[in-house]
Amino acid sequence: MRLLITTLAIIAAILGLILSILPFEKIALISIILAFILGFIAFKMAQKDGANTKLVKVIFLITIIALVLSIYRSVFDKNVVENDIETIEKEKQSQEDAIEELEGLEIED
Amino acid sequence: MKSFAFTIMCLASCFIQGQNNAIGSNEKLVFTASYNMSGLLTDLAQVTMETNEVKTSKSTLLHLKGKARTYSKWDAFFKINDLYESYVHPNSLKPYLYKRDINEGGYYKFMKYNYNHKTNSVKSLKRKRRGDGTFWDENKNLNISSNTRDIIATLYHIRNLDIHKASIGNSDTFTVLMDNEEFKITLTLLAKETINTNIGRKECYKLAIGMNNNFLKGDNDNLLWLTADSNKIPVYAKFKVPVGNGELRIQSATGLKN
Repeated sequence: MRLLITTLAIIAAILGLILSILPFEKIALISIILAFILGFIAFKMAQKDGANTKLVKVIFLITIIALVLSIYRSVFDKNVVENDIETIEKEKQSQEDAIEELEGLEIED
Repeated sequence: MKSFAFTIMCLASCFIQGQNNAIGSNEKLVFTASYNMSGLLTDLAQVTMETNEVKTSKSTLLHLKGKARTYSKWDAFFKINDLYESYVHPNSLKPYLYKRDINEGGYYKFMKYNYNHKTNSVKSLKRKRRGDGTFWDENKNLNISSNTRDIIATLYHIRNLDIHKASIGNSDTFTVLMDNEEFKITLTLLAKETINTNIGRKECYKLAIGMNNNFLKGDNDNLLWLTADSNKIPVYAKFKVPVGNGELRIQSATGLKN
């Protein structure tokens, strides 16, 4: 049982870290919280059994790194749109083409 | 007698609607589009709605432009770069030319409608990209009803309606031309609500949007909040589509008419 919970905690912590590196920082929080809960249970079980808690401490370390990254990204990553020249030119061209197409059109008042 | 009076009122409003009282010629509305990912709303894209005046040798038209762009951090996963344009009469908002240029994660589609209001028809062009990068065109002549508009012209037309004259529960139906097919959009006034937005606390008309195709899901799950002033700015929207749900929140509004 302890092995299963520890394995799940490792998976959740690594997933949380990957998601917090990628722009999925909000979803990463679900994984991080899960890793903390499972890690805590695994830690208590290891203490009770008198087993080595080194692996659980590593899980906590990964989870904390993921949490810091996730919070950092949520606070400091700004939502920006890349204003590339290609798109600006495309819009300009589209309007020019439209004016050419509408040339001669007599609109009803 | 009551229904007769209502019919007269509707007919009258159709004729009075010739005046554009809500949309200015240099208006810019910026929105954030969020999508529900595992129960968490994630900001995905920026939606911009802009207007500007365009002049030809014989006339002046209002250029309505709607843009949707994913935030740069998502571009590596799924890049959206959509441009919707409609060239309309500055007063009646009647459309004359519509263009839709969509680029969504490698999928490309271009649509163009040239309206002929004398014959109630539309000359349509559809352009798609094949797998090998070449393009193919499909030209069609479509017959439309006299009040059919494209999606962009419809959005602005809704803003120009006299919503203040409507009562809670009233609804109106609009015909929209999308992908060479006419669809009916029904708008129902649900309530008048005051909500907090990025441009301040606003009293709004809460409207439910219904569509007779499968694009929008659920009853009263697609909602639109328009400010209850003469600009009738869309400040907040909730949508439910077959692939999920999300919302649209206003970030800024500049160049307003009133």
